[in-house]
Amino acid sequence: MNTREKEEYLREYEVLKKKGKPFFPYAIMKDSVMACVVVAVIIFMSLYLGAEQGPKADPTTTTYVPRPEWYFFFLFELLRVIKPPELVPIATIGVPTIAMVLLLLLPFYDRNPERNPLKRPIASIAGIMTIVAMAFLTFLGANAGSPTDIEIDVAPEYEAGKLVAAQSGCLACHQFGENGNNGPGPKLTEIGARLNPAAIARSLEIGPGIMPSYASMAEDEPEKFSDLVAFLSSLNGEEEVAASEASTTDQSVESAGGDAAVVEPDAGSSADGAGATTGSGETP
Amino acid sequence: MPDLQKLLPPPMRRPPKPGHPNGAGNGDAPAALKNGDEPESPVTDNPGKRLTTGVKDAPADLVGWVDERMGATSFLTAMLMRKIPKGTNWFYTLGSATLFAFVVQAITGVFLAMYYTPSPVEAYASITHLTNDVFLGEFVRGMHKWGASVMVILIFVHMARTFFFGAYKYPREINWVIGVVLLILTMTMGFTGYLLPFDQRSYWATIVGVNINGTGPLVGPYLSDFLRAGPEFGATTLQRFYAIHMLLVPGAIIAMIGAHLYLVVKMGTTAPPWLRADRKPKESRSHEVDAIANGDGANGSSGNGAAS
Amino acid sequence: MKPVGYFEGESMTRRKVFAVAGQALGGVAGLAIVLPAVGFAVAPIFDQPEEDWQPVGPLDDFVPETYVPRVITIVQGIGEAGKTTVYVRRGSVDLGEDPDSYVAISTRCAHLGCPVRFVQAAGNFICPCHGGVYGFQGEVIGGPPVRPLDRFQTRVTDDLVEIGPRYSVTSQLEPVRARDPGEFTGGVWEYLYPPRPSTAAPPSSS
Repeated sequence: MNTREKEEYLREYEVLKKKGKPFFPYAIMKDSVMACVVVAVIIFMSLYLGAEQGPKADPTTTTYVPRPEWYFFFLFELLRVIKPPELVPIATIGVPTIAMVLLLLLPFYDRNPERNPLKRPIASIAGIMTIVAMAFLTFLGANAGSPTDIEIDVAPEYEAGKLVAAQSGCLACHQFGENGNNGPGPKLTEIGARLNPAAIARSLEIGPGIMPSYASMAEDEPEKFSDLVAFLSSLNGEEEVAASEASTTDQSVESAGGDAAVVEPDAGSSADGAGATTGSGETP
Repeated sequence: MPDLQKLLPPPMRRPPKPGHPNGAGNGDAPAALKNGDEPESPVTDNPGKRLTTGVKDAPADLVGWVDERMGATSFLTAMLMRKIPKGTNWFYTLGSATLFAFVVQAITGVFLAMYYTPSPVEAYASITHLTNDVFLGEFVRGMHKWGASVMVILIFVHMARTFFFGAYKYPREINWVIGVVLLILTMTMGFTGYLLPFDQRSYWATIVGVNINGTGPLVGPYLSDFLRAGPEFGATTLQRFYAIHMLLVPGAIIAMIGAHLYLVVKMGTTAPPWLRADRKPKESRSHEVDAIANGDGANGSSGNGAAS
Repeated sequence: MKPVGYFEGESMTRRKVFAVAGQALGGVAGLAIVLPAVGFAVAPIFDQPEEDWQPVGPLDDFVPETYVPRVITIVQGIGEAGKTTVYVRRGSVDLGEDPDSYVAISTRCAHLGCPVRFVQAAGNFICPCHGGVYGFQGEVIGGPPVRPLDRFQTRVTDDLVEIGPRYSVTSQLEPVRARDPGEFTGGVWEYLYPPRPSTAAPPSSS
């Protein structure tokens, strides 16, 4: 703003102010009404939502899933979406610091004398985008699932397998619907549509690429293993259909068991075959 | 009772300013003081009547007495009677609503502090006791807990209002900067207040938060040690957060709110950005511009004008 | 007008000297309050805790193939809040480790300190916060962690495995002084995230 614009603003403001009303009692009245609303909301929330106490702090836990208070969700999600380790300092310190400096210095780089939000489109759009971005990150952060919890709806007979998958660390590398990490492994939401149960069982046992082998589970706890295979085979990307066609899929699982027995003789060559199959599955 | 009247000093009402023998207050006082005798001649005539007038005038006298010693009236008049520009609406109550939320936090916080023990061994139990056994304990704790959320929302909405109305522009740049500092301080309150209930969420959020500070190159590792009072979460970490949450940051917030409000009063509340003074009939505009040109424009003078 | 006591060539009068000196005294008084208070607050940075070794069980408790969780106390005198879980196993010949050594892995995620969990079936460590995944030796295999999981020094005394101070490792699993989560190790990072005086010296590289 140059001197002329400053003078013009001050003059105009003075005119508007002359036409205004005194702070007391007119503005005070509105402020008091607002204060009542604020305290009513706080009291309502306090009575309705209460002040529940979580479980006591336990530094020895290995099962707790930490989540921040809602107004830090956007920062929390920022840390989740910035994956490469080299960028961690940027996510933790860099982005928030830059955002704060930009906010702090706003009046010094926005030198447009116009104040009407409709007449300064760049500033208004930037402001709206910031709000939308923060709201979106907050939403994502609020819905961030636990890495030991799969929220896909499956038919009751696959619930056991779902539990096995959730507790076996699959979500560390694979995504099931909205849960789990997108990478290094492929998405498993539709794995049942791409691989037949036998191929799934083989790749679990072999552990292609960097994937760990689950062969010990197949040996020690065959029931859990077959539950897991059945669950994975049921994932064909159509949740409702998966539930309604549960019986047919069930049959296919059983036939798959038979298939596996048939396939068994050429197990020697199946290592390569399974590797190839899962390899194709892995490329997204 | 008349004795009491005699004990009280005579010039109880607002005294005239020096050099104004006929000021708004008790014009007789200076003369009486000059003569050196008590201005109580009517007392002997009709004590009862004098007493009634004395009682009637007592509040005004008291105000005058205090004002003579504090000079608060002119300040209050300037603050309360200042003009708010035409067209201000409910959006302009967000700042005072945020302030009110802070007051709620301050009051409930003081009462929570009466029951809370900032020690890693006893903190959780003291919160359990406070919530479950103390009369209205859960209510007060709930107000503090949800009041924090309400305050954070209000401060963000207030900031958005300021942004979209262009209210951070000349001559209010410094007040914007102070406001952003207040936002940071409020988020710091949220962060340090977190740990105090000492449940799982508190503990792990604090661990993560401290480690976030630690990722700053060069100084980060030392900053973490400073926040934790050692290389690991230790005996005095909780007390450190408690002191920051209770004393350091609230002190800074109160100081900053003072500066913020001072500048609001000094610079005036903004008018809505879509209002234009030019849109008025020509003659009235030129009249007003003239009035301003005649030096009637300063804040203080308009305040005094409203008061008189 | 020459002030009293003024002599030729004097650039500062006596009065001025006293005025400046008096104001400087105010500054001295301020510093005398602030400096000790700040020193008081930052002192813990330079405290080095004593080395503390805790037994976690007989040698037979630990095998090379999997980890066993053990709870140890890392800060004395604050009860539950001073404890942490470590995953302990015997050195594995397959991984090129000394079969008589013991590996103790910290459960603090090297990203930002969340509690990682060892998943037996997959043989890896998973962090519940921001998606970090570690392999069997604590090496990063996915997500944002900046370095492998920290370890604790181990030794054997009277047929008991004992756990000592924590240390960090580089991506080649070379021991370095303990860092906080989120801080890189190795190479130039050793200077950008300087080791703190409050941590113990790392074990000699094996």
